[in-house]
Amino acid sequence: MVGIGQFDFNLFIKILPDLARGALVTLKFSSLSILFGLIIGTIFGVFRIIKNPILPKIAAAYVELIRGTPLLVQIMIVYYGLPAAGINLPPEVAGVLALSINSGAYIAEIIRAGIQSVPKGQMDAARSLGMTYFQAMRYVILPQAFRNIFPALGNEFIALIKDSSLLSVIAIAELTRTGMQIYAVTFNAWTPLLGVAMFYLMMTLPLSKLVERFQRRIGGHESP
Amino acid sequence: MSLLKIINLHKRFGNLYVLRGVNMEVEKGEVVVIIGPSGGGKSTLLKCINMLEPPTEGKIILDDIDLTAKGVDLNKIRQRIGIVFQQFNLFSHLTALENITLPLRIVKKVPKEEAEKIAIKYLKKVGLEEEFASYYPHQLSGGQQQRVAIARALAMNPELMLFDEVTSALDPERVKEVLNVMEELAREGMTMIVVTHEMGFAKEVGDRVIFMDGGVIVEEGKPEEIFTAPKHPRTRQFLSMIL
Repeated sequence: MVGIGQFDFNLFIKILPDLARGALVTLKFSSLSILFGLIIGTIFGVFRIIKNPILPKIAAAYVELIRGTPLLVQIMIVYYGLPAAGINLPPEVAGVLALSINSGAYIAEIIRAGIQSVPKGQMDAARSLGMTYFQAMRYVILPQAFRNIFPALGNEFIALIKDSSLLSVIAIAELTRTGMQIYAVTFNAWTPLLGVAMFYLMMTLPLSKLVERFQRRIGGHESP
Repeated sequence: MSLLKIINLHKRFGNLYVLRGVNMEVEKGEVVVIIGPSGGGKSTLLKCINMLEPPTEGKIILDDIDLTAKGVDLNKIRQRIGIVFQQFNLFSHLTALENITLPLRIVKKVPKEEAEKIAIKYLKKVGLEEEFASYYPHQLSGGQQQRVAIARALAMNPELMLFDEVTSALDPERVKEVLNVMEELAREGMTMIVVTHEMGFAKEVGDRVIFMDGGVIVEEGKPEEIFTAPKHPRTRQFLSMIL
């Protein structure tokens, strides 16, 4: 029997396929959540700056509510709390929902900043050519906003990959939970947890390199 | 009959009183040049004409349509009024060609190929060869950017063109190429309202010169009257400072 604090290379090789499967689940949940988070975030990000008496307040309340509470609590509310209100969701759906709502709030703030980074003259020019507000947003403002915030969105995706480890509390077999299960069976903590950390890095490092390269490119020829 | 009629136009931004009762008429084919010190309300006036800045009070009448009335389709009206800005305001994520084709396609629903033909035609009209079509705004000089902006406005086939200090942000050696395009446009009979500090242009191309200060029209007349025999002391003072 190997001690709890020892690294077991044979075990490490043996559990690699399991960890890889867990990493894929992590990637799947983070990708789905960043996608839905982008949709939610774009809608609420636009709401925040729109000229309307109610929508900006609703968007601000949503952002404050989500950013002011822990993701872990949000996940548990969606999975354990909603059934009390008669809404039963499978853990996978609850997981994606909670993560999407959470990242949506952070992305809404990123989108808002992105829209505000586009010079006001762009909207003037678009409207003066006969575009509606919606067309100007869709074809002129948002494409430029997204270009400016691409690095921030990349960082948000990286954060989401790491935060999705909290889904382990609702029994989703993502990377962290896979590692914990191996620990529970083998009584070896070092080997699976180091493997887990390694797999997270394999996902986040290339992404942060990509973000860095993009940041340089934008910095390179930002037009006035 | 006049194409544009402005009646008792007022514009306030909070406590800032920018326009204090402007009345003017512009005939079809006329070139009206507006001069005056900065902060006199010239740019705000132009932005009120196409309702980018809704007036606080007064009427803007284009061809019998009151633009300040409720229920007017401003998106339709704005297609008839082209405006060119001091800062060019080209869409920075699009090429010169796409800057022109985008509004044609999504506002006028012109098919892609036809829109591109129109765009090339207007790029040539402002003196830009086809090779510039694929350039992004940051790859063009200020003068070239401004000419693309003029082409973009012209491609919508407007009846009235507004120019808001379009040469003020340009390097001195680039001013002429933009003024030449405007001069040609005036010769072709385009109705134009031009806010500018280029007094040579005002004298040679303008049919009428308006001097604005403090949010009102102080004096107006034929260029030779304004420049050689200004009646109002404020006009005289302004002209003596810049000429």
